Order: sequence, then structure tokens, then C-alpha cells
Amino acid sequence: MNTVVLPDEVKPVMQNGVPAIVATCSADGIPNATLISQVYYVDRTHIALSFQFFNKTIRNVRENPQACVALNDLQSNTKWILDVQYDHSETEGPIFDEMDMQIEAIASATGMSGIFKLRAADIYRVESCRKLGATTASSGSS
Amino acid sequence: MATQSLESLAEKLAQKTAEVEVLRHIASSINSTLDLDQIYRLVLGTMDEFFGFRHSIILLLEDTDTLRIVASHGYEDQPLGGTVIVGTGVIGTVAKRRRLMRVHNLGRQRAYFSTIRTQMEEAGRTSELSEVGPVPGLADPESQIAIPLMIKDKLIGVFSVESREPRSFSDDQETLVSIVANQAAAAIQNALLYRAAEERRSELAEAHEGLRQLSETLEHRVHARTRELEEANRELRETQAQLVQSSKMASLGMLAAGIAHEINTPIGAIHSNADVERRAIRVIRDVLEASALAKNLRDDPRLTRAFRIFDDMNRVTLEATERVIEVIQSLKSFARLDAPDLELADLHEGLDNTLTLINHLTKDRIKVVKDYGELPKVQCYASQINQAFANLLTNAVQAIKETGTINIATRQDGAYAVIKIADSGAGIKPEHLDRIFDPRFTTKGLRVGLGLGLSITYRIIENHHGSINVQSEPGRGTIFTIRLPISRSA
Repeated sequence: MNTVVLPDEVKPVMQNGVPAIVATCSADGIPNATLISQVYYVDRTHIALSFQFFNKTIRNVRENPQACVALNDLQSNTKWILDVQYDHSETEGPIFDEMDMQIEAIASATGMSGIFKLRAADIYRVESCRKLGATTASSGSS
Repeated sequence: MATQSLESLAEKLAQKTAEVEVLRHIASSINSTLDLDQIYRLVLGTMDEFFGFRHSIILLLEDTDTLRIVASHGYEDQPLGGTVIVGTGVIGTVAKRRRLMRVHNLGRQRAYFSTIRTQMEEAGRTSELSEVGPVPGLADPESQIAIPLMIKDKLIGVFSVESREPRSFSDDQETLVSIVANQAAAAIQNALLYRAAEERRSELAEAHEGLRQLSETLEHRVHARTRELEEANRELRETQAQLVQSSKMASLGMLAAGIAHEINTPIGAIHSNADVERRAIRVIRDVLEASALAKNLRDDPRLTRAFRIFDDMNRVTLEATERVIEVIQSLKSFARLDAPDLELADLHEGLDNTLTLINHLTKDRIKVVKDYGELPKVQCYASQINQAFANLLTNAVQAIKETGTINIATRQDGAYAVIKIADSGAGIKPEHLDRIFDPRFTTKGLRVGLGLGLSITYRIIENHHGSINVQSEPGRGTIFTIRLPISRSA
């Protein structure tokens, strides 16, 4: 089980790269890609994705914990690809609160308070992280 | 490499030192004033000047659901007084959660949410959506830090900075905003408390002033009411005195009428007999003149003396009885028991009757000069007017200690009859002139008068819609002038 340390330069991309694209695959091998409203930097080896709707993405990672996240860096017009593995879900605590608050702020400003409701913060372990076209920051493994 | 690192560290240290200095300056400045507007200007202006926060806004919690914009900086059209609902947008959510929020890439996030909204609207799920109200601040922000202004656990407002740059705010800047917001919260709270205390003090001062004015007004009212009551009491006493006097006059009138009636018959008999006696003596004298037999009797000096004595006595008897008849007639006329209502009265007759009744007071020492003009009959209560004349003439008589003159003049002045009664008596002291019509005021001493005469006279003339005034000079006499409307419609 590989784990990489996220480079410092990817952290602001998470803050600014929303919406990101997340790709998952069901247990029987059917892929799915969708936009996701929030990718949250948890620590140097973990990220969190928002779980708002019980959709294909959620169903897939519950069957097959592997996922791939594509982040858009608007400043440099580049992409970051993260291979991640679902670890656990949090329905309370500082990570959940932070993500919930951001969703609530934007949703309430666009008249969709009742639509976007964070069910859980799904915590993923980062297995690889690379800038599109070049693999970077594989500074550790286990 | 090590040198570069040291240089970098030195640079960071210098920057931090400068930031600390600015923060100390902000803290010192905003804590040195209790003027809210000055605090807002200091906070927002300094944040722009030293840290480059170009767009900032302060909102205060108005009630549990609403924040109101009290200060803004760097906006062209950010009206003060605008509101944010707690729980709506970044600022409203920060107020609701009472936690700092730093967001980036707001434009894309909004665009993403708006896309979802459009899809829902196209799918007919509009009932799940709510209206989007105006959001204060920039129309197109990309980055925003909003921080709750807290005093202990109590939210008092929100401080927000924003930018059009997608990655505008760093962790360090977040820390700076947080520190300034905490200091600003304390300063704003102090200023709010001071303002509330000032408003309370002002309200108390206003309330105090209101109470003082009310007290003053009440005092004036009490004084005014006291004066009204005193006036009412005075009028009551005057009316009472007048009633007593009227009652006495009525009793006196009835008594006089009874006496007059009783005296009238015998005095008529005496007067008639005296006249018969006078004519009988004349017959006896004529018979003696014509008779030759009685020549000796006619020349007898004793008889001549007896006739003279008899003539003198008869004349005196006739004059005395005529005087008694005149007095009785005046007495009846003065009291006017037969005419208690409003009537057309001859004022000259009233004056003459009054003079007749006080003749015993004037004869031998006071000369009464009458200067009567042409006067029509006056519509009045004659008995009351006679009473007024009697009071004035009695006063005039009493004012003349030994000998003197009373002048009575009448004339018509348009719709008024004017009666002037002047005496050459002692006069009235100037300091007493204003009070002579007051009830109970007298200069005659308690045993002489009750002090009601002039007061009653004043009231009688006033009741007739007339006027009475007095002119007096000590040692030279007094003039009372009455003006009575000839008709009550005058």
C-alpha cells in the first residue's frame, strides 16, 4: 500500500481547483467520472471529498476504494492527478465542520441550502500525486 | 545555501516585526477612542494601507437574524445600512457558525452551484430552490475571509475582506485579519457600550428635563387653580354678602312698606284734620270780621295772639305731615317691592328717593347739588340700582367729616347713562384705590362698616353690564362714575 506526501504547491490548487473531477470504478469494472464540489486538504498524506448525494461515486468507492482525482490549477493552467484510496468517512469533527460550512456558505448564496447538504467527509489516503505530464512528489512510500 | 536561508529568515523576521508594529499601532489607535466611526475608519483604512486589504466591510448583529453594514472600505457603491440574513452566504454562514472562513475561487464555485441550479430548474424542481437575495460586497469576488466579531461567547458582528484575485489570502494574512478582528471587536464593543451609556444618560437627562417641566407645569397649574379657587371663593363670598344684603333690603323694604301702610292712614287723617282746622279757623276769623258784635273780641290782643299761634302750629303740622308722607312715598319707591324684575326705571327718581331717605344725614352740614341732564329711562333692576346709589351716597356723606358738598351729575353718553357722584370729603389714599371694591375692605373700622358696600355696588353695576370707576385725591374728595347701558342689548 503506497502513500505519498503531497507537495506544498498542490495545497492551494485544492483550495482553488474546485470543481474537481473524480473517477471511480464499480466492483464489476464499470467506470464513472463526475464533478465534485470540494476537495479538502486534510494533511500531507490525506484529502477529503464531500459526500452529499448517494450517487454512483459513493456507491463505487464503497465497493472499490480506489479513485482518481483531477485538480485544475487555474493560475498555471495545469492539472494535478491524485490516485487515492477511500479510508473512512467522518460525519462530525473539524474536517466535517469546515467542509460543511463552505458548502453551506456557497449553497445558501445560490438559493440551494436545502439541496447541498454534506452527509459525510470521505477521507482518502493519497497513493500518488503527479502534475499532468510529469510525475512528482513521490516523497515517501510504505 | 545556509547564507540564503539566513537572509530569508532575516527578511521574514523583519516583515513579522513590521507587522507586529502595525498591529500594535492599530490596537493602540482603536483603543484610544470611543467614537465608533473613527474605529471603523482606523481598522479598515489601516488594513488597506499596511496589508493591502482593498475591500473590507464591517457588519454588526442587529437582532438574532440580521446583520447590518455599519462600515465599508474600497467599494464604489456599497451602501451603509444594507443587511445580511444570518445563515446566508459567506458572511451569514460565518455569523451562524461563529467560525472564521477563508474561501477561494468563489467565482467557479458559484458557477458550479449555479449550473446545478439551472439543471434543477430545467428539471422542474424549482420548489426545492429558494430566492437568491443581494449579497453585500464585490459583485464578482474570488477570495474572501470572513471572521466573526466575538466578545467572549457572544457574537456582535462580522468583519470581512475580499478580493477579485483567486488566491488572494494566505495563512499569514488570515492570522493578521483574525488578530485585527479580535482587537476591533473589543474596541467596537466598548464604543457600543459607551454609546448606549451616553444614550441612556441622554434619555435620563431628557426624562429629568421632562419631569422638571412637568413639575413646573403642575406647579403653575396648582397656582392657577389656587387663583381660580380664590377667585371663586371671593365671588362666592361677594354673592353671599350680596344675598344677605338683598335679603336685608327686602326685609327692610317689607318692614318699611308695612310701617308706611300703618302710618299712612293716621298721618293722612292728621294732615287732613290740620287742613280742615286751617279752613275752620279761617271761617271763624271771617265771621268775627263781619260781625259788629264781635268787634271787642276782634280787638282783644289775647285772641289775636291765639290765632297767630294756632296758624303757626297748623302750618307746622301740615308741613310735618307732608314731609312724613313724602318720606313714606320715597321709602316705598326705594324698596320697589312691587317691581322686582327688570324694568324701565327713572334714575333721577331713584337718586331723589335715595336723597330723601338720607336727608337726616345731610341736612344742615352737607349741600347736595344736583346737575341732572336729559336721561331716558334705563332698563335695570331698580331696587338694586337704588341700593348702589344709597351705598355711594352714604359713603360720600361719611367721607365728609363736618361740612361739604355732594355733587350729583347725570348725562347720556351714547347708549349709556352716566352718573357721577362727587364728594368734597377726605378722599381715598392711593394705596387703597385698587382695593376699595374688594369685599371686606374698609377704612372705616370694624364697628363702622362691613366693607361690603362698594363691593356690592361693583357687583350690581357689573351684573347690569355697566362699569364703575373711582378717582380720588386725599383731602380733596372722591368721584365715582357709573356707566349703565340704557338698554340691556347695548
